[in-house]
Amino acid sequence: MANVTLNVNGETRTASVPPETTLLKLLRENFNLTGAKLGCDVGDCGACTVIVDGKPVNACLMLAGQADGREVLTIEGLATQDKLHPLQKAFEDRASLQCGFCGPGVILSAKALLDEIPSPSVPEIRDALSGNLCRCTGYTKMIEAIQDAARTMRGEPADKAA
Amino acid sequence: MRAFEYIAAKDSRHAVALLAEYGAAAKVLAGGTDLLVELKAAPHVPQMVIDISRAEDLQNIALTDEGLSIGALVTHTAIMRSPLIREMFPALVDAAHTIGAVQTRNLGTLGGNLVTGVPSMDSGPTLVALEALVIILGPAGRRQLPLADFFTGPRKTALKPDELLAEIVIPKKNLGKPVHFLKFGLRKGQALALVNVAASLRVDWDKQLCIAPRIALGAVAPTVIRATQAEAYLEGRAITPEAMAEAGRIAAGEAKPISDFRASAGYRRDLIAVLTQRAVDGAYALAKAKRDQEA
Repeated sequence: MANVTLNVNGETRTASVPPETTLLKLLRENFNLTGAKLGCDVGDCGACTVIVDGKPVNACLMLAGQADGREVLTIEGLATQDKLHPLQKAFEDRASLQCGFCGPGVILSAKALLDEIPSPSVPEIRDALSGNLCRCTGYTKMIEAIQDAARTMRGEPADKAA
Repeated sequence: MRAFEYIAAKDSRHAVALLAEYGAAAKVLAGGTDLLVELKAAPHVPQMVIDISRAEDLQNIALTDEGLSIGALVTHTAIMRSPLIREMFPALVDAAHTIGAVQTRNLGTLGGNLVTGVPSMDSGPTLVALEALVIILGPAGRRQLPLADFFTGPRKTALKPDELLAEIVIPKKNLGKPVHFLKFGLRKGQALALVNVAASLRVDWDKQLCIAPRIALGAVAPTVIRATQAEAYLEGRAITPEAMAEAGRIAAGEAKPISDFRASAGYRRDLIAVLTQRAVDGAYALAKAKRDQEA
C-alpha cells in the first residue's frame, strides 16, 4: 500500500491506497471530492484537471503516491461558504456551461492562467484551455467569462455585455 | 489499472540501483503522461514501477563543459520557461509548446518523450538537428550516444532494461546555431504531428553559402530521421528560395510516411517538402537576425 499525506484545499489529508491508485481516484473515492471528473482517463479531455503545486495537471495521469507531500486544489476549494470565486460567478453570469461536466477542469485551468497572467489575451486563454474539451456548447462564452473574471480580479468593472 | 508495486527513487543513483535490482521487471515512471496511459490499457503490468519524478538531480538545465545540458526530468513547461533555452534555442520552446496541452506539459518530461520513442514525438527533431547526445546511466556507469542512434524503431530505443536516460546534451559546437522547428497537426492542442521538421544551419556570410545544414523529420519514418541527402544538397550552396524548395523535395523523397486515419502518405510527403523548405528558411532568417544583432 502507498501511504500518502497531502494538502487538499488547505487541509492535510492522509490515506493508504494500492500503489496503482491515481490521484483522481484518491480524490473522488477516498476523499469524496467528486468535482474532478473521470472522462477519457488518458489525459485528453481535461475533465479531471486539478491544480498541484500551482500547476494544472490531469489527475488521471498522476499516481496518488506522486502527490504525496504536495498541495492540491480542486474545484471544491475555490468558493467559500458565502461567496463564489470570480471565475465561478462569471461562468454563471455568462451561462458558459451547459451540462457542466467539463466545468471544474475548465475553471481550474482558467484559475491557473489568471494566477500567472492577470490580463491574458484571447490566444493565451485558448492555449490555456486547449487541454479541456467541452462537447456541449463550445468555448466562446467560457472565454468571455474568463475575461470578465480577469477584470473582476484586477478590480475593474465586468463587461456590461454580460 | 492492474496492481503493481511502487517505489520512489530519491535521485538518479538510487534509480539506477533499483533498476539493477528489478531490471526488466520494472518500468520507470517520470511524468506518467505516456506510461500511465500504457499501463491502463496493458494486459500485463510490470511488477515494479520506479518513480523517478522526485529525483532533483535530473531536473537541471545548465551550460557545462560539454554544452547545454537538459536533465531528462525537465518538463515541457520548464523548457518553455527556461531563460537559457528561450535565449539560445527558441525552437525548443516552440517544440515543447506543441506537445499535448498545458496539463500534459506540466507533467510530461523531455526524457519521457524521447524514451517513449513514438515517431511523432515533438521533442525529437530539434534535438536531432542540433546533433544532441543522450547520457545514459547504468550498472556499468555512464555512456553516451547520439540521440539519432538512441531511436531504434517505433517505441524502441537503445536503452537497456537496467539503464536510465539521465541527460540530453546539445554539444558545445552547436550552441547558438540557428535552428527552426515546425509541426503540422490537425489542431493546435492535443494533436499528434502529421509531420514535424527541424532545420539548423550556419551561413558563411562572405560567400553567402549554407554551412552544416542539419534537417530532421518526425512522424514520417519508424523513428525521427535525418534527411541527409537534402543536407548534402544544401551544404556549401547559396540559400535561395529555389534551393530551399529543392531541399524540401529531396527530403520528401527520403522519408517513408505511412497512410493512416490522420493523413495519407502522399499528403504527408507534400507536407514534408513544404515544412522542410520553411524550416530551412526559418533557420536562415534566424541566422540573419543574429548577424544583424552582432553587427
